[in-house]
This record gives sequence, C-alpha cells and structure tokens, in this order.
Amino acid sequence: MSIAESETTRFPPRRIGSLLKNRAFLTFLIVVLVWIVAGFAKPGFGSFGHLRYLLELAAVIGLVAIGQTFVVISGGIDLSVGAIVTVSAVGVPLAADLGDPTGTVPVLIILAAATGIGFLNGLGVALLRVHPMIMTLAMATFLQGVLILVAGGSAVSTQNPLLHWFGNARPLGVPAAVYLWVVVSALTLLVLHATPFGARIFALGANPLASALSGVNTRRTTMAVYAIGGLSAGLAGVLLLGMNGQGYVGIGDPYLLASIAAVVLGGTSILGGSGTYAGTIPGAILLVTITALITVVNASPGWRSILFGSLILALLLFSGREARNR
Amino acid sequence: MSVTSGPASRRLYWPAQMQRNRGVRGLFVVVALFVALYAYLFPGLLTVGGVSKFAQSWFPLALVSMSQALLMLTGGISLSIGATVSLGAVIAATTMTGPLGVVGGLAVVMIAGLAIGAITGVIVVRLRLPAIVVTLAASFIIGGAALLILPRPGGAIPTWFSDLLAGNTPAALILLIVTALLWKVYLATPLGLSLYAAGENPVGAYRGGVPVDIARIAAYAISGLLAVGAGLFVAAQTGSGDPVIGTAFTLNSIAAAVLGGVGFLGGRGTMRGAIAGSLLLSVMINVMFFLGFPPVAQYVAQGLIIIGAVALPEITGRRGPR
Repeated sequence: MSIAESETTRFPPRRIGSLLKNRAFLTFLIVVLVWIVAGFAKPGFGSFGHLRYLLELAAVIGLVAIGQTFVVISGGIDLSVGAIVTVSAVGVPLAADLGDPTGTVPVLIILAAATGIGFLNGLGVALLRVHPMIMTLAMATFLQGVLILVAGGSAVSTQNPLLHWFGNARPLGVPAAVYLWVVVSALTLLVLHATPFGARIFALGANPLASALSGVNTRRTTMAVYAIGGLSAGLAGVLLLGMNGQGYVGIGDPYLLASIAAVVLGGTSILGGSGTYAGTIPGAILLVTITALITVVNASPGWRSILFGSLILALLLFSGREARNR
Repeated sequence: MSVTSGPASRRLYWPAQMQRNRGVRGLFVVVALFVALYAYLFPGLLTVGGVSKFAQSWFPLALVSMSQALLMLTGGISLSIGATVSLGAVIAATTMTGPLGVVGGLAVVMIAGLAIGAITGVIVVRLRLPAIVVTLAASFIIGGAALLILPRPGGAIPTWFSDLLAGNTPAALILLIVTALLWKVYLATPLGLSLYAAGENPVGAYRGGVPVDIARIAAYAISGLLAVGAGLFVAAQTGSGDPVIGTAFTLNSIAAAVLGGVGFLGGRGTMRGAIAGSLLLSVMINVMFFLGFPPVAQYVAQGLIIIGAVALPEITGRRGPR
C-alpha cells in the first residue's frame, strides 16, 4: 500500500510514543482498525473490489482536500471548493476542444480556469483583505449564478477520452484515479514539507504578522495557496466528471464539507499553522469508509445523517482537540 | 446599567452609543440608500401594510443574523444555524396541531433550541473542539433529526397563528423590536457583560474572574433559541414544515453579520451592525426582484456586493470595523 509507505517515510518512527502522538498516523490506524472490524462483521466489505471502490471515491475527496489542506494550514478556509468542483465538472463539455482527439485541451482549459477562480479568491483575501470565509462564500454564490448561466440547470454528459480513461481505466487492477491521487499526493507532500514555499505557508498560518516581518511575501503566498485550492478542486471536478460520465449543478456540493472534515480528521489545525497532508489522506479514506458503513446499515436518510454527524464528532474527540489556552 | 447609574453616566450614554456606531456608519448610509431605492421602486412600502410585509420577509434573516453575530462576538461561529432553523420549523409544524396545542408547541420548539444550543456550546467549550467543525458535524445531526421528524414537507400550523404572525399584522416588526430590546437587557446582565470580554480576550477575562465558559455556553444556547425562532416564523409563513427549508440561512447569517462589522475573532462588532447587515441583504434581494433581475444576475450581484461592502473600508484606506 502506497499510502502506508508515504506515511512511514514521512514520519520515521523514532519512538513508539511519539508515533502514537502523531495524529496523521493515528487517523491511519483508525482507518485500518475500522476496515478490519468491518471486514469481519460484514462479509464482502473487506474484499479487494470493495476496498478498491472506496479508495476510488476517496481519491476525489482527497484531491479536493489538497487545496483545503494548503488553505487551512495558511490560516484560511475555502468554502468555494464545492462550487469549483461543480463548475469544472459542468464546464469540460462546454470548453473548446480545438480538434484535439485525446480531449486534453478542454481539460487543461478548465484546470486553468479553476486555478484562475482560486487566484481570484486569493486576490480578494490578500489584497482586499476580505475574510477568507466571506470571500470564498461570495465566490461560491457568484459561481452558482455563472453555473445557471452556462449550464441552464440541465445535466451535461461527456465523451472526453482522457477523462473517460481516468475515470474508468484500471491498469494492474488499480483505478487510474487512485494512481493520479498517489502521484499528486506525493507532489503535495513534497511541496508542503520540503520546499521554502511550504515552509512559508506554515509560517503564514502560525503568525501572519511575524512571517511578513521576517520577509515572507504574505500576499503572494496567500494568492498561491488559494490558486492551488482552485486547481485541486478543478482536478477533482474533471475526475468526477470522468467517473460519472455526466456533470450536473450540485455535483460538487458534498465535497465542501467532506474536504474540511478530511483535513480536520487528519489532525490539521483549523486555526492554521500546523498539520500535514499525510493526515488528510487517511482522513479522506476514513470519511468514505464511514459513509459506506452507514449505507450498509439500512437506515432512513435522517438516521444516516445523524450517524454520520455523530461519528465525525466522536472521531474529532480523538484528533481535533485544541490546546488548552490558559 | 445598574452599576453605573448617575448623572455623569447618563450624560455619557448617548455619546458612548454614537462612538460604538463608528465602524458601521458607512453601512448605515448604504442601508438607507437601498431602503430609499426600494421605497422609490415600490411606493407601497411606506404604508403600515407595506412595512409589515417587508418586516415579515426580513424577520427570519434578522433573527439568524443575531444568532450568528452573538456567537461571533464570543469568538465562535456556527455552521448549523440553517439545520436548526429547519428543525424549529418541523417541530412547530408537527406539534402545534397536535395535543400540545400552540402554546405547548411553542414551548417544545424553544426548549429544543435552547437544548441544542447548550449541548453544542458544552461540546465546543468544555471539550475544546473547534467550533466550525463541531457545528459542521452538528448540522448533519440536527438536519437528520429534522428529517426524522418530518421526512417530507408537510405538517401544519394553525391558521389563526399563521395569520397572527405572518398575516396582515405588524407582528414581525414588533417581535424584532422586542428581540432587539431584550438583547439590550441581556447585555446589562452579568452574563451579557461577560460576552464581549470572553470574545475579546478569553485568557485575560478568565484571569479577571469573568465566567468565560458559562458566558460562551449561554451564547450558544441563546443562539439556538434565536435560530429555532426563525424556523418557527418560517413555518408560520408557509403554513407547514419543510426539513430543509433553513439551509440557505447558514451562509446568509454569516454574510449579514460580517457585513454588519462583526469580526471573526470575537469581541468586535455590534448587534445593531448585524441587524443592519441583514436588512441590507434582505432589501437587496427585494430590490433585485423588483428590478426584474434574472436569478443569475441576483447571485452574481449578491456575491459582488458582499465582497464590495466588506472590502470598501480597506480600499478607501480607513480602518475597518475589525
């Protein structure tokens, strides 16, 4: 399992004690435990096909959560990711393909557009000093209007070959989406923990004033962080379109809450300044697993919603507690 | 103001109140302009009936904005306000025509709001979990409960009660004024006084003997009460309950509070600002409807106006209300 490998290389287990205090590792442990228990309790849950399916679903949440992790670590929050996912999923069939038979051009156009939307978020937060929650919220409202304009409320379908491959192909028995997720995750961890840019993001989230005084270009860093948020949500959107075969208004809505929940379950502080994408990965898998388990329990939508909320709340007790401040 | 009564404090009261308007004066001007525009487009607004009708469309948003602003003043935030509004609506629609009657139904709704708020508050404050995530999870639980009570739109509110609240009466306006006055009274109680201190500087307030935890939990409880109140009113307006009717209120409540100059970090802002913010949003929606804006333009304009209103103090170089 590639996730396990990245987990251990990222955090060399010097002592067992310190490993158990590592929230990313703890979340991963919870996922494994839940999988083992569920596998014994419900035959078929632990089958390769089912776990593969879960990972495929987790890949989309994981991709959205990349941007969310960056933004949250930098001390902000992005409430527009759901809208960006929808815009990208609905936008691909509308983008000009320029006679490209592989379908790469429209995907690139949409990814660029998504990055641009994220950049606009960053512009508002960094230059206009609008609070991130308001800026991204207003952006989501704005995009909702644009969506009705371009899609007119009807579903769009696509025959884009590139997206069809990413959504359905299974080289060596593993979905292409999961490969994509692994590659992008490795890149994310690299950027976040092994580049000056990553260090600047952590500094910005921990103390914006201090980091500005010590020479970090906070405006440029903020804009870059939100642009990454847009790009990752756009990537998730086109992938989702590839998996579903069609896009519709509202397709991205569940990913807003899922991305925030995955980030926080992974031990990243919602206040910014600390965390890792290595925790968000098991966080995303955990979310999908919980959802799958709740679906197995044959309950009404009301009970399902209550179970989901309660389980997240219970998991937060393990991984989301703030330090005592007095 | 029992502690500081005397001729000097009475003389200082109004200057102090004006001073507190500093950050939201610009907002008041914008709101006045929008109301004037609305009155120009729709002259019927300036009659008793017109004001009553408008107050009815504004009242639920004003209540949830107060509910959100109250939490933001203590340094918290709630993403479960929309779900709580829905829950209030479905409880009202299922109990009021039953054996409990209107009074019993009213009591059940209020108790549910207070209890939900208090439980959320205890989880956030005592277990030290981030408010934004707890209320996010709570929105699933509360929304699920609303779905359990009423899986699909239905139920009923007694007609006389609907007419009383949302008929041709200025009941909404009166209730809003009463709520605002009650807020003034609350601010004068020890818990109300602790509110700003707990939001501005929790550690300092705690060391100074302010009951920080209690003040914050009380804020969550009152916030829950205001949210179910909005739900009750929405149910009375529509005459029935809908388990997802409140969804849009979560984001609108945050937008209204922030437009009104309430800061995210706690201790900054005023309730009058939040109410003015909700008035601006509500008038804006009505004006755009009257001008015949298509829904697309409404969303786009709403997004732009919110950003513009928040960014304006920064652009013009003045320090914002934060």
